[in-house]
Amino acid sequence: MSSTTLTQKQALAFATPAFIALLPFLGACLYILRFSLSAEKGSIDGVSLQAYRDLMTPFFGRSVWLTLKLAFVASAVVMLLAVPLAFLLTSLRSAAARRLLTVTILLPMILNLLVQAYGWILLLGPSGALNTLLKTLGLIDRPLFLLFNETGVLLGLIQTSLPLAVFPIVGAVRAVSPEHLEAASSLGAGHWRILRDVTLPLLRPPLVGAASIVFAFNASAFAIPLLLGGRRVQMMGVAIRDMISPLFNWSGAAAAGTVLILLTVLVLVVSAWLVRITTQKTGG
Amino acid sequence: MRIALLPTEAGGSYRLTILLLASLGVLVSALPVLVVTIMSFSASDTSGFPPEGYSLRWYGDVARMFLEEDTSSAQSVVDSTLTSLLIAVIVMGISTAVCVPLAYALARGQRRVRAGMELLFTLPLVFPLVMLGIAFLLIAESLALDLGLWRIAIPHVVLVLPFVLRNCLSAMNGISVEIEEAAISLGASPLRAIWDVVVPLMRAGILAGLIFALIISFNEFTITFFMYTIDVSTLPIWMYSRTVSSLDPSTLALSVFIIAADVLLIVLVDRLIAGKGNLF
Amino acid sequence: MSDPHLHIESLSKSFGTVEALKDVNLTVQRGAFVCLLGPSGCGKTTLLRIIAGFEQPSSGRLLLDGSDITGLAPHRRGFGMVFQSLALFPHMSVAENIAYGLRLRKASRQEQKDRVEELLNVIELPHIADRPVSALSGGQRQRVAIARALAIRPKLFLLDEPLSALDAKLRDNMQIELRRLQQSFGVTTVLVTHDQTEAMMLADELVVLSHGVVQQSASPTEVYRHPATPFVADFIGSANLLPATVSPNRTLALLGIDTGVTVPSVTVGALRAAVRSEAISLARSTDEGATATVTFARDLGPVTEWLVQAQGHEIRVRGASHAAAPQTGDRVALQFDPDRISIFAE
Repeated sequence: MSSTTLTQKQALAFATPAFIALLPFLGACLYILRFSLSAEKGSIDGVSLQAYRDLMTPFFGRSVWLTLKLAFVASAVVMLLAVPLAFLLTSLRSAAARRLLTVTILLPMILNLLVQAYGWILLLGPSGALNTLLKTLGLIDRPLFLLFNETGVLLGLIQTSLPLAVFPIVGAVRAVSPEHLEAASSLGAGHWRILRDVTLPLLRPPLVGAASIVFAFNASAFAIPLLLGGRRVQMMGVAIRDMISPLFNWSGAAAAGTVLILLTVLVLVVSAWLVRITTQKTGG
Repeated sequence: MRIALLPTEAGGSYRLTILLLASLGVLVSALPVLVVTIMSFSASDTSGFPPEGYSLRWYGDVARMFLEEDTSSAQSVVDSTLTSLLIAVIVMGISTAVCVPLAYALARGQRRVRAGMELLFTLPLVFPLVMLGIAFLLIAESLALDLGLWRIAIPHVVLVLPFVLRNCLSAMNGISVEIEEAAISLGASPLRAIWDVVVPLMRAGILAGLIFALIISFNEFTITFFMYTIDVSTLPIWMYSRTVSSLDPSTLALSVFIIAADVLLIVLVDRLIAGKGNLF
Repeated sequence: MSDPHLHIESLSKSFGTVEALKDVNLTVQRGAFVCLLGPSGCGKTTLLRIIAGFEQPSSGRLLLDGSDITGLAPHRRGFGMVFQSLALFPHMSVAENIAYGLRLRKASRQEQKDRVEELLNVIELPHIADRPVSALSGGQRQRVAIARALAIRPKLFLLDEPLSALDAKLRDNMQIELRRLQQSFGVTTVLVTHDQTEAMMLADELVVLSHGVVQQSASPTEVYRHPATPFVADFIGSANLLPATVSPNRTLALLGIDTGVTVPSVTVGALRAAVRSEAISLARSTDEGATATVTFARDLGPVTEWLVQAQGHEIRVRGASHAAAPQTGDRVALQFDPDRISIFAE
């Protein structure tokens, strides 16, 4: 045995503290699953699918549909913005400019969500920056209602999930060799053609990966619809919370949460599978 | 003509489109923060944009909030801020202490095990925060324990694990086995070699992980929203309760301090891991 | 026969304050194989990239068949290029890679198929069409990259150190292969290399660059026999550079030994001469003619190499091995082949 290769026992010893730290998370997952199968609404008691059956209401259906719709649109827009941003970020030569752009994009993901919500309220409100601008330009007479509806939530989702797509794509873009682009060019491809035939196909696995994570993140959003949707935009996160807070339907919330988790896991698994079969076809 | 993803010259409609979309992305990212910053210098009480005049009065309010004893509400902003910081310190300590040995084990262990483990520890990142909040709330309630600060600290540790681990792992990447073997050949025990050689070399990654833990814990809203009690509450919750009915400009001034702190910390992380992997 | 194809006219390129190319003038004949040769950082790759269109010159023009292509976008030039990393598209099969240029030219499916087949036959890999690029060996990738560039019937065939990643034996084979392909296609070719053996082997015309300046542009034999500058003499086959003096009867003397070479009367100032190691012969002697001492001798089989010390200069000599060859420590007389001495003003 060489002294620098870890035995299984040693590896386990090194990993144990982290497992203990992760334990509450694993416990929470199981707890939710168990509660969703409870026969009682307020406590764990017996086994039944009643909570899931109770979910089959038009209200919950609408919430699922709205969640999928907003998450999908937000993810599509995010990808459309993230790829050009990644191109820009990787082609900046000045370190200061690169740092400034990095901070600008990353900030929305980690900054206190309340602060972002304040920003959007100030921007989109009836006397906010956007309405003032449009009025000054003479494009509208009456303020547009952009807040506490789907538009506001959508913008918030796009903003907070953008960094989640940009940074993995930046990593992938760095790995694209300029010679591949030049090779396509020497064979006669213009910029758009290079993008279509070489860049995007080379970036496909990371792009699909980023898109699915953005989708999962947006589908499970809570604070943004809560703060910018003002209860009127009942995405699943908000709907689940309402089951608990005014209704005390714990098992229902757990069941709805399980549905939400399965949905996001499904998207992640399917996209990973898609990437695998498409890369196998050309042999990667 | 240089061929690049973003050509520096010519490029016609392609270059224009890429730049346009990228600027749109920058706008969406930056505008809310910019507006908050501008409005915090407003002289008036209304939230109309642009402000009619500029002043530092809201910053004065924030200073007063922190300096004068506030007896009107159950938890003052000072208490919330201290709680937030205390929780962040606990989270930084625990998450780093558990991730450094794990990262070492994963980097030196079998490749297959590593992929699985990385996935497992990334799960909290994609797990819906609402559900995490509700689950922790249910567990805490049913255990009926008086956990104090740990009510919030434990979920926060879970939340920052993926970020801290990622940083520690990429710090391990550049450290060859040989350097450890060199230390051992000079008489260090394997554990001593890790402590004397590996950990110092991981320093930048560990620091980056610590800062990530601080940023995430200090800014966390969703889980804390479910877990807070009258006695244990953080700064984001204090801000939420203050602005739940209407926006108060002094909160905007407070926000600007948070923005500045976050920007400073991100720049620090970016410097620490410059050229080495990605932010996450 | 002179049939100029590509004409490079007083071309300069600077990156910031660094001058990568200084006033380069070059004419490439149709169907010629030109090698741009020089040490790293000499500007050879920059020159190739300007020809390809990936860099714009700071000044000067590029003329192809008399028409100015300086500002033309690279994808409109129709030059096939083989890159240092080969840059095969990993997401396409071998056939898709080779057909890609034709697809951009809107060639019919059948046409693409025929051409791919033709080229795969030419590179002697007829059965790999549907393989992914990742399944190819280094040599196979090389050939596919060449086939991809040739598939578009390029007006110019450009190669940027394409063989540098291969091991020595494979590189030898590929050099022969490359020369054969170039001749059978009759395509005007420009290849960049830092390997002088490779350049000597492949080129009809050798362009030697140093610090962004063309030092000499001539056939390999000419460059070897009559280097135009001390740099070329040293870089190609590393000649001995010796100080020379002119005797009163206007003949050249090296290390005090009269060479019998007559110097034109206009020559003034200090001179240097380049003499290749095989243009010097050694004679063992104990008498007055002995001016040098052998410090090192190594028998390489057919030839022997010596290092001799004479008047503070170390001189490299190479000659046929024989039993009576001088050994280390022997006193020897030097003789220079008068036809193989190049003279430079200091």
